[in-house]
Amino acid sequence: MTEFEPTILAFCCNWCSYAGADLAGVSRLQMPPNVHIVRVMCSASVKPEYAIKAISQGIDGVLVLGCHIGDCHYMTGNHRTAKRFPVVQKLLEDVGIDKTRLRLDWVSAAEGEKFQKVVTEFVEDVKRLGPNPLKEVRF
Amino acid sequence: MLPELAFDKLGADLLLAMCEGHGNVGPIVISKGEKMAKVRTDVPYQLVTILTNIYPFIGQKKLALLCRRCDEKALAELEKRGLVDEKRVLRIGLACSADQIKACRCSDPVPSVVHIGAPGKPAGEDELMNKLLAMPSEERLKFWTAQFRKCNKCFACTLNCPVCFCDDCVLEERTFVAEKGIPPGMSFHLIRTFHLSDKCVECGECERSCPAGIPLLTLRKMAAKDMKALYGFVSGDKKKVSPLLTTLEGEPMEDECHEC
Amino acid sequence: MARTGVFICHCGHNIASIVAVEEVVKFARTLPGVVVADHNLYSCSEEGLSAIKTSIKQNNLDRVVVAACTPRTHEPLFRKICEEAGINKYLFEFVNIREHCSWIHAKEPGPATEKAKRLVAMGVSKAALLEPQAETESSVTPTAVVIGGGLAGLTAAASLVAQDIDTHLVEQEGEIGGHLSRVSVLAPEFDESRKLLDSLMSGLAGSEKAHIHLRSKLKDVHGFVGNFEVTIDEHGKELKIPAGAILVATGAQEFQPVGEYGFGELQGTITQLDLEKMLSEGKAPNRTVFIQCVGSRQPGREYCSRICCNTSLKNALRILDLNPKAAVTIIHRDIMSYGTAWEELYRRASERGVRFLRYALANPTKVTRKDGSLLVEVYDETLAERINVEADVVVLATPMVSRENSGDVSKMLKVPRDKYGFFLEAHVKLRPVEFATDGVFICGSARWPSSAKEVMCQALAAAAKAAIPIKRGKVIIEAITAWADPDKCAACGNCVTACPYEAVEIATQDGKQIAKVNDAQCKGCGACVAACPNDAMQQRGFTTRQLGAMIDSLVKNALEAEQ
Repeated sequence: MTEFEPTILAFCCNWCSYAGADLAGVSRLQMPPNVHIVRVMCSASVKPEYAIKAISQGIDGVLVLGCHIGDCHYMTGNHRTAKRFPVVQKLLEDVGIDKTRLRLDWVSAAEGEKFQKVVTEFVEDVKRLGPNPLKEVRF
Repeated sequence: MLPELAFDKLGADLLLAMCEGHGNVGPIVISKGEKMAKVRTDVPYQLVTILTNIYPFIGQKKLALLCRRCDEKALAELEKRGLVDEKRVLRIGLACSADQIKACRCSDPVPSVVHIGAPGKPAGEDELMNKLLAMPSEERLKFWTAQFRKCNKCFACTLNCPVCFCDDCVLEERTFVAEKGIPPGMSFHLIRTFHLSDKCVECGECERSCPAGIPLLTLRKMAAKDMKALYGFVSGDKKKVSPLLTTLEGEPMEDECHEC
Repeated sequence: MARTGVFICHCGHNIASIVAVEEVVKFARTLPGVVVADHNLYSCSEEGLSAIKTSIKQNNLDRVVVAACTPRTHEPLFRKICEEAGINKYLFEFVNIREHCSWIHAKEPGPATEKAKRLVAMGVSKAALLEPQAETESSVTPTAVVIGGGLAGLTAAASLVAQDIDTHLVEQEGEIGGHLSRVSVLAPEFDESRKLLDSLMSGLAGSEKAHIHLRSKLKDVHGFVGNFEVTIDEHGKELKIPAGAILVATGAQEFQPVGEYGFGELQGTITQLDLEKMLSEGKAPNRTVFIQCVGSRQPGREYCSRICCNTSLKNALRILDLNPKAAVTIIHRDIMSYGTAWEELYRRASERGVRFLRYALANPTKVTRKDGSLLVEVYDETLAERINVEADVVVLATPMVSRENSGDVSKMLKVPRDKYGFFLEAHVKLRPVEFATDGVFICGSARWPSSAKEVMCQALAAAAKAAIPIKRGKVIIEAITAWADPDKCAACGNCVTACPYEAVEIATQDGKQIAKVNDAQCKGCGACVAACPNDAMQQRGFTTRQLGAMIDSLVKNALEAEQ
């Protein structure tokens, strides 16, 4: 029985978290190969509908990474992200899906190590949760 | 009594109410001076939904409508977004009966001004919601997937919802609801709930109109509980900006820009 | 149906040693719309670019996907190649399989290759839905604002003025010069800093293009490259300066080692700048001990401040010049006298009798007062012996640290800082004197502690880069702005509230109320898109269908693989 390897979708903003991911790469910081990044300009542009869609279709975990509060390239973009995603997490919980499958965090362009830490932790957390139960559901 | 209240006292040109007609009870618009139909205040229906449908056609006329507490709140949510002009929509406060309050598990049944009916007491909590919250998550998921399997995308919930204002619903497309046929997957219901999270007034119309009997009102109440816990937010107050549109400190975004 | 070309880069062995490139190429050929898939050793090289161009023309491609490094470096380059080959540059998609794949999964080549395939598939699915875009141009205000009037700021400003560019120099102190005016001699040449300062000022003072604002602070910044509005507070008066480029030359400050080695308590424990003051007045102590790495190269502040060893060598020699019989000891944890000239000074100092004792963090040095002198007790690592040195003055060589107000500047300009508070450049090698934010540049110790020569090089580089948009007279606005579909829009106003730049308003069009985006104001953040409930609001290059397709692609490839 092979170990469960989660499939994770990540949204990274061009100015901070995507650059932080680049820095992690440049610094050769190793991490598990489960995370697939979609580049966006700002975490504020990440529609909660994307996270809902991904989880609904069987993706095991969704990671949304933006700039630290106060440092958003577009001023208050990440405030919106910070307000929206806790609601989605609660709704997931309400229907019985573990809300920790959706994680929101802040990674700056200088934080290659934090990116590595967040990715490694999140992959481990989702591994522990097991496969997304919606994969088995035949609607 | 009702026509005098609407046309004379409140100065309306039109009255929207549930009336008897053609052997049925349905929403009817009565113009000033027109023969009055028999109004039925005991048949619950979301008149604000009808209002948003006919709103583009009433020009500058003033319209009075029978307004329960949830109708009032729905109007506040629409007015907040500039979708309805509060000066032209006049409210006739209708208090719900005890049976109606119980059916909705309503915690806020009394409109700000009561013209018709006697103010009722709030109902107890939604028992199903409490049961679900006490369940372990696997059971809860089993419950909801069993319920959602019944859905056949009839869109009755969205069409009858007073605060659902989009003509073209995002759930009609395949971008976010990937399933080709029916039933649609979890994303349909989660996205609907998310979109409603800052505007749902718990009127229960979705649950009443669902042909598959899915307990949608319970799901709305769970979401409302979350919004209250996260942001102290309750829908229906015209002065409260949606927490999804404010900064972390609660300031509205409009104050933000300086980039001119 | 799209005709997509996929080009996988080896990047030498950076990608190819981990990711099985040819396997990815084979996989790419199976993807919908892909008519050709190929690989290059270095896609960004002349050969690589030429091969892509040829392939585009030969295969009549209308979409191009390159899987290589990060788009943050070479996206403009590949976009240009597409344009040269006849395809609209916005029909190009960049997939990162180096920083985000081969470099971070070096021990798992199998899984890394599978991930690369999935990433390429996501890129291909997005590319198929890309639309051609037209870019708009914006004019450039032919003015530069330099923040900081120290060596970096003066050098940059002098260079800009020499290029006939209107330049405003904003300095918070009452006089120009920064640290340059506090240090009288510059090594290794032992020139008087006064001469350098005068020569820089003469370039500025005579020119009508130079505007120096003393006792002035940066108050606010709005706008974008070519069209900034910089507000400064000029000793109480507010002044708005329209600018095309902004240079950050705010420098750094000397760390004050309060509580270390008796600093602030024991008489005679001083910093390098305190010593500088003494030496410039011609006073040289009889017995001096320098302690290097005070507050640097240790937990909490791990970096080496680059200039402190050389400054101590310089000052040791100056002490000996002023006072040939003086006793000088330098206690260090490595002497960083790098380059061609500094090693020479190290040797000269040693030959002239300066004593060098090596200490380690594990055995800290103690400084106390005994019988009217300072007593320095050091454990010499080389001799493995405790040595006592008497001194009149103990100079604590401390690092340069980021300025206290660098946080305010960083917020106003929306530029990042590293964990030590120094500003962070766009790319260490490819873009060392600019920020990721276009039109804002960085030079001098505000980025990291640098010697005078290094500061001047950086300042000249920053000035050269800043001159580019100004001399060009125009900037191209990237076509990633938002628009609202008038058929779908319900005019709910969410987008208007969500936009940080007031670029969206509800207007009447064909009798209907809909959201309208002002392209000139729109910065392409996409906040309106996420606020829109019914998908009416879209962002060019990041539409919901495009990103949705990427998710569908991942679901298909990853979940299918599980079964």
